[in-house]
Amino acid sequence: MKGILKSMATTLSTFARKPVTREYPETHKELPERDRAFPVLLWDKEAHEPFCTGCHACERACPVECMTVLMKDNPAHKSVGGESGRRKIIDKFWIDYGRCMRCNICVEVCNFDAITMNNTWEGHEKSVYDRADLVQDLPMLLSEHRSGELKPWVNE
Amino acid sequence: MNTLFGLPVALDALIRVLIIVSVMTVVVMGLIYVERKVLARFQQRLGPTRTGPMGLLQSVADALKLVAKEDVRPTNADPWVFELAPFLVFVPTFLGFVVVPFALAWSVRDLDLGLFYILAVSSVNIVGWVMAGWASDNRYAMLGALRAVAQSISYELPLVMAMIAVAMVADSLNISEIVRGQAMVPNIVWQPLPFLMFFICMLAEMNRPPFDIPVGESEVVGGPYVEYSGIRWSMFFLAEYASMFIMALLGAAVFLGGSAWPFGEQLGLPWQILLTVAKAGLIIFVVIWTRASFPRLRIDQLMSFSWKLLLPVSFAQIMVNGLILVYDLPYGMSHTLLAVCSAAGVLFVASAINRSVTSPRPRPLLIPRSEAAR
Amino acid sequence: MTNALQPSEFEVQDIMINMGPQHPATHGVFRMVLQVDGEIVKDLIPHIGYMHRGAEKLSETMDFRQGIGFMDRTEYLAQFNAELGYVMAVEKLMDIEVPERAQWIRMILCELNRLSSHFMFTGAFGTDAGVFGTSFTYAFRWREEILDLFEEITGDRLMYAYFRPGGLAWEVTDNFEARVRQVLELSKQGIKDIDGLVTNNEIFKARTQGVGVLTKEQAIDWGTTGPVLRASGVQMDIRRDEPYLFYDQVEFDIPIGQNGDVYDRWCLRMEEMRQSVRIVEQCLTKLQPGPIQPERMPRMLRTPPGEVYIRTEAPRGEFGIYMVSKGGNRPHRLKVRSSCFANLQSLRDMSIGQYVADAVLALGSMDIVLCEVDR
Repeated sequence: MKGILKSMATTLSTFARKPVTREYPETHKELPERDRAFPVLLWDKEAHEPFCTGCHACERACPVECMTVLMKDNPAHKSVGGESGRRKIIDKFWIDYGRCMRCNICVEVCNFDAITMNNTWEGHEKSVYDRADLVQDLPMLLSEHRSGELKPWVNE
Repeated sequence: MNTLFGLPVALDALIRVLIIVSVMTVVVMGLIYVERKVLARFQQRLGPTRTGPMGLLQSVADALKLVAKEDVRPTNADPWVFELAPFLVFVPTFLGFVVVPFALAWSVRDLDLGLFYILAVSSVNIVGWVMAGWASDNRYAMLGALRAVAQSISYELPLVMAMIAVAMVADSLNISEIVRGQAMVPNIVWQPLPFLMFFICMLAEMNRPPFDIPVGESEVVGGPYVEYSGIRWSMFFLAEYASMFIMALLGAAVFLGGSAWPFGEQLGLPWQILLTVAKAGLIIFVVIWTRASFPRLRIDQLMSFSWKLLLPVSFAQIMVNGLILVYDLPYGMSHTLLAVCSAAGVLFVASAINRSVTSPRPRPLLIPRSEAAR
Repeated sequence: MTNALQPSEFEVQDIMINMGPQHPATHGVFRMVLQVDGEIVKDLIPHIGYMHRGAEKLSETMDFRQGIGFMDRTEYLAQFNAELGYVMAVEKLMDIEVPERAQWIRMILCELNRLSSHFMFTGAFGTDAGVFGTSFTYAFRWREEILDLFEEITGDRLMYAYFRPGGLAWEVTDNFEARVRQVLELSKQGIKDIDGLVTNNEIFKARTQGVGVLTKEQAIDWGTTGPVLRASGVQMDIRRDEPYLFYDQVEFDIPIGQNGDVYDRWCLRMEEMRQSVRIVEQCLTKLQPGPIQPERMPRMLRTPPGEVYIRTEAPRGEFGIYMVSKGGNRPHRLKVRSSCFANLQSLRDMSIGQYVADAVLALGSMDIVLCEVDR
């Protein structure tokens, strides 16, 4: 009987405690700085263009091949009368979030610090009704950082 | 016979039945909400919060969903038996409300054999369970139904015996009479052992943990319910909670002094109803508490607990009661004797539970890492 | 009554009950076909493979950095332990010296992971035994604290991909030690809660003592490891017998069961949780600042040809990685020695002759992760 009573005392003691549930859509847990949602591209706010030069490094390193990268000559390069120092720049970029396994490898291999893992709640809340909607194109990937919502975590 | 507004008996009965069925269904739905909330607190959760203020409309939403759901019947099921089974569980359960006194003068019918009647009708629903289990053409359902029968039969007996012991002390089988007899002292003081047995058997009759073997989720996946859906399933569900409510009311009336103790007679109707609700609520709370705390027993342990412990003890209690009551001792003396014997019985049951599991066995050794390998 | 059917005239058949792949008690997608006589299990046929994703074969096409993420997914309750086996195999092939600080952090994370995995076991097993959700919510409530810590360090709640050949991917957070201590305090409370709820409960004892017994010989014959083996009385713990990381520098006790039943496995895991707390506390005192990666790491990991077998003590037993390399940046062959796969083989011996409900408990007491069984 002692053990039975002890069980009941334990449950009663938790009955007196405060519930720990967070009511999710209303209250979000504060995400740590390093939180890894899905990869997004960074926007060079000084040059007004993406950091990404379309070098395919992330595409090659991706274990699940969720990325497609196309490169073009930068129309704003100095040689053609622009102000940018980037000779080549990203033309088209797709990431299929349905395939991505959030391993952080693309961030590690990037030579230009042009890609980062989204650490905001918007990065997590990606539910859609159609899998095809999970494929993100370049403007979508850039919008988070461009609008200033995203403060990327930089690993020294 | 007193009828409402002097109506003919048949019409009066119809009105009373309608009131009971409609009001009790709402109460039972409230009970489901209460259980979910309380259970959630035991588990440090919040329970339903989304439907209505504090999730109050959760049961309504569930009911609407269940009514709207498709009523699926397996191809190989026995159609008549399958479709009839929920009614055979639902109706007898609600029949029990007929004799339950909500206040001193408030019950549908004040039967002289009320206690007997309520125990009789509450055990009919097992037929529905067997029908459900057999007709579903599902092995889990069959297994669950057979478990339910075994369990129900074995716990029916101690339940009846416990009730007989109390009826001997109260000197009546009329529930209202029993309640009135407790105006000074509730029966639990004189008869703690029958209360304990009533509580255990009540859990078993209602298939509540730790006796939820027939519906055990991790074993038979819901037992007899497994093939039911929609409104038929919700009838089983409603019946389960209705029987919990009836049993709690019965326990409150027979053991805890119902609406009579303390000062039920003097303080009037609202106090009486409050007393009934509070006492039934207490029992329901403990039932939910046990649900949150205990693992499930195994079928053989369940049977041996009933046949080897509860039943002999309940017979002993009846014999002791008879021996004490047959001599016309003065009131105080005879009842003190009853209380002492019954309390001794409680201690015996507790120690028997203890003895049955705490056999000496070697405890795990702790080998420090530094002790040489191999 | 001459027309009455005589028992010899009809055939008595055992019922086959198909438990799974969708069943609340199968911890994933596992299917067991039970041949029952009433409630007694006469025979049990386990069917695995519903979760097979070819992780081993896939890893052959992944270079050594990419493979780490797949190890997380192989063993999704003890991810750090699984990663550890993989990176240790690569390190051994490449002959890399791992910095001391990285080793200690690895050890802390692995032990915390063992703690969180055992919390998961207590929750799931309580549900198998029929504690309606309470043990589950208790366990999840305290496991959540550990996962929060992991998320702060690695950025992900489950798929950490944090260990790297040579060390760690990045430095831990600044308040790492304080946070670990805080989590340990909370975990102690959690262990106390679950212990109080279940361990001494008479009903739980009645359900588990003497159930699913595996003798010493059977346990060794089936190649079980970890708590299942130790519960049967065999003194084997790779952390002690073949110390890796710095397990030879910390003091801890290895609980050994003497009855080999389900209750012993439960008690063993409860004790291991306490020991894990103890190990982490010792690790914290020895943690020094320093590098977390060797000074000279090649940009592209290439191993010389060779083969290596690494065994580590994961929460569920021996987690082994057998890696063959023919040179180059990816394994030629990778074999994961899954602890659950070997443990699961003993299920039939544990369950025959017992009740259906006991078979469920025997399965639960092995704490299987179907993802690891099928890989």
